[in-house]
Amino acid sequence: MSNLSILEQLGVAIIAGDKDNLHKAIDSALNEGISLSDIIEQGMSPGMKEVGERFARYEIYLPEMMMAAEAWENAMKILEPKLLESGVERKKVGSVVIGTVKGDIHSIGKNIVGAMLKMNGFEVFDLGVDVAASAFVTKAEEVGADIIAASALMSTTIPQQKSIIEHLQARGTRNKYCVLVGGGSTSQEWADSIGADGYGRTAGDAAILALKAVSK
Amino acid sequence: MISFWTVVERALNGPICTERDFDLDIFVPNLRKVIEKYDIKYDPQNPIPADDDLADRVWEAGKEFLAETGVYCIDTERRILFSLKEIEGALESGPCGRVFGEGKDARIMPKRTPEDSTPPWCSVGPTSSPVSTEIFYVNLVKAHAENPLGDGITIPCLTTVDGQQIMGGSPLGIEGAIRAVLLTREGMRRAGRPGMPIVNGVTTAARAQEHIAAHHFGIRRTDALEIGTIHEMKIDFDSLNKVAFSLAAGNLIFAENGVILGGYAGGPAGVAVVTAAYNPVDLLILRGAVQHPFPTHFDLGITSARDTVWARAVANQAVTRNSSLPVVNVGYSASGPMTKMLFYEHSAWVIASIVSGGSVEVGASARGTALDYTSPVEPLYASEMAHAVAGMSRREANSIVSCLLDKYEALLREPPIGKKYQECCDVVTGKPNKDFLSLYHEVRQEMTDQFGIRFTAASPYI
Repeated sequence: MSNLSILEQLGVAIIAGDKDNLHKAIDSALNEGISLSDIIEQGMSPGMKEVGERFARYEIYLPEMMMAAEAWENAMKILEPKLLESGVERKKVGSVVIGTVKGDIHSIGKNIVGAMLKMNGFEVFDLGVDVAASAFVTKAEEVGADIIAASALMSTTIPQQKSIIEHLQARGTRNKYCVLVGGGSTSQEWADSIGADGYGRTAGDAAILALKAVSK
Repeated sequence: MISFWTVVERALNGPICTERDFDLDIFVPNLRKVIEKYDIKYDPQNPIPADDDLADRVWEAGKEFLAETGVYCIDTERRILFSLKEIEGALESGPCGRVFGEGKDARIMPKRTPEDSTPPWCSVGPTSSPVSTEIFYVNLVKAHAENPLGDGITIPCLTTVDGQQIMGGSPLGIEGAIRAVLLTREGMRRAGRPGMPIVNGVTTAARAQEHIAAHHFGIRRTDALEIGTIHEMKIDFDSLNKVAFSLAAGNLIFAENGVILGGYAGGPAGVAVVTAAYNPVDLLILRGAVQHPFPTHFDLGITSARDTVWARAVANQAVTRNSSLPVVNVGYSASGPMTKMLFYEHSAWVIASIVSGGSVEVGASARGTALDYTSPVEPLYASEMAHAVAGMSRREANSIVSCLLDKYEALLREPPIGKKYQECCDVVTGKPNKDFLSLYHEVRQEMTDQFGIRFTAASPYI
């Protein structure tokens, strides 16, 4: 089997969210002597990119993205210790703490953004729904996040996004993080009024904003 | 039908399951299986299919999917399961002929079927859109209540109390919910329709305690509380608490299900099946008197895109051909007030709903989320459209909606936001300005000239 076809298999397994075949392809790649960085950058990453592009074209939806992201994360559990052993440090795009704010239990928009960020190479720490403002801040400090992304659907829960910024200010760490807000009842006007760093109307917008934030 | 308390017992004792496993290992594969088994395929060329067999396959797929999947209780991390027999039992004992409202404003909720000439139910109002001041709020309710085709009022969402932004779960949430009811009653009184039912009680209330508080300040038994499922096929204690209270208080319930196109349900075929599956869920869990669906596009946040129109049409046909629980559709449009596009968007989803056997709640503009981007004019027009097309064939409707989609769908991503309420209406009299009324008449004429649609002359703006 040629190197190219093994690399293709890695991408295909990512796109299909097929953990078993991805593991097999990784084993084959390692047996063939393909480098760890080529497995990730030439094999799996193009698969993730393709998933993001298909999602943007409405050819696939949230389940396919989540399954691809899970397959990636599963594979990285195998590959990361090997990277450490070999002394190769993999450059991460950035890290994001994401969640739906306190009092709000709507998760789908947040999950779509989380998956989209993963497709774009971010490490994503998903706190779930109904998350206290302080929990966003504490988690961001714990993992050294670049970005805090807060979702809120309802007009009665968006004030909690403002609360996150106030908690950051209270701890004196506002400037350490890029704070992005999104969700049904939010807008650019709202983001500006609370001093957020960005507003994403769609998951695609959120990914672009996040990439821009970490490139600064 | 099994009792609500049996449902609660299952929420507390059903099979344990993580939310991730429910979403990806149960919900998604079960849905894919029934879509394939029943051969349900999206046809973008026909936004309103006229295929009874497809509608019935969607219905069967929905029931089978529900029986195999159940509903996930977020608070207990358990599945609430129903047998096919229990689902059938609920459908056989569904409500019919429920009366909403009081006195001369009382109305019977009609049961409609595809291509039915029975006049539809029309809920009118800002559909929970946020407004900034109490005077706008009262003026809007009054204007909507003056619509002679309005059967029920769907109230706006207050965003502040005495200048303080309302935060759900706080005392401001309680006060906001109470104030919303009192202001709505006042608006309807000013319109001379004091008995008109509120059908989205209480939009400013996010939590059960806020619903209960509002109930003490003017919600009546003939009003409907709006209680929803969570995306997708999920419920939580807060929603179950609202149901428990409503049952004890004797309220009617509008059971809302906004399936996300692009979420766990996937594409249009999945959205149609899940929307159909929610119909018995609305009976069994939410104890609804009405199913209140709004299939929403994940990226655009609206219901007027081609794929969501198709999913709505097919799901309505599936449900109204097979279930006793009536459907009142709600729509969210991309464009804002005083734009031609908003009239087109409302026309498309309203026509799809009506000819597919549903009724309508008209309707939110600017995705229902932009502050003050709401007016009484487009919902009035939409209710007129709903009555005008009752009895129209699905084939004719399909051709009209295809033309309408051609007019606006390229603009959905960057829609014209239009004017705020205070820019297109007189804030003292509450009346739309001259240019706005011209646009309203122009679009009505266009619909008559292009599609032969005849509107009522009962408009307050004629």
